[in-house]
Amino acid sequence: MQSTCDVTVRQMPGAVVLDLSGELNSSASGVLLPAYDEAVQGGDARTVLIDFSDVDYINSTGIALVVGVLAKARAEGRTVVACGLSDHYREIFSITRLSDFMQMFPDVDSAIGDLAET
Amino acid sequence: MDALAKGTTVLDDFSVSSEPGNERAALARVAEAVKGFTLAPLRLERLKTAVAEATMNAIEHGNHNQTELPVRIRVLGGADALIVTITDQGGQPVDVPDPAVPDLEAKLAGLQTPRGWGLFLIKNMVDDMSVSADGQQHTVTLTVRLQESTTEDDDAEHL
Repeated sequence: MQSTCDVTVRQMPGAVVLDLSGELNSSASGVLLPAYDEAVQGGDARTVLIDFSDVDYINSTGIALVVGVLAKARAEGRTVVACGLSDHYREIFSITRLSDFMQMFPDVDSAIGDLAET
Repeated sequence: MDALAKGTTVLDDFSVSSEPGNERAALARVAEAVKGFTLAPLRLERLKTAVAEATMNAIEHGNHNQTELPVRIRVLGGADALIVTITDQGGQPVDVPDPAVPDLEAKLAGLQTPRGWGLFLIKNMVDDMSVSADGQQHTVTLTVRLQESTTEDDDAEHL
């Protein structure tokens, strides 16, 4: 299945950023974890920021993919934070308790600003 | 067709083929069907997510991705509630859905599969969910009450 999700990796001060766009569903399974691996490969990034600003649909399989990335990051001693979620998906991250394990920010700038202070 | 409760109107009645991705067409059409009702934006988003997840389950687990098998979706509107039924062609007896919260710690520790969120999401997105089967078909019924839908404050209280 062709992925309906694109991921761009970029380095920012204090974090490596995964910019997601499109739909986070089963078709994203072949892109999200490889993008995470690419983002942290050979670097010393301790924090991975996932930007959901341009994601317009997340289903339960997409939630599972985020859980998979979070599990891998935690096993590697990295922190994952999120930004750009709509109110609806913030609620879903809350009821699934993902927000207990991923700090959430409105946007990339506020996330990077907060990370710089800590 | 089953008898409708008094005052209930069929807002839409359609089918999608059992192809992954068709849940998005289903949620868009349901959203269009309920446009005339007062539903706070967040509650509409919840309903859309519930419809998408239930349709996905119907495609994958009910119809086993056999594209020729339809998933039928009915949207009913009444004075007090919106009801959406999602019916697939798998009519085996169903277990009562487990209301337990998935064990995120176990998933993060690699002790459980990261998956298994669909039913949990559906149950948390609507006011009521029920499941029935008649030996030939399997139906999930989603109910959203309208009296809790007038303000965004209701959404905050529901969290």
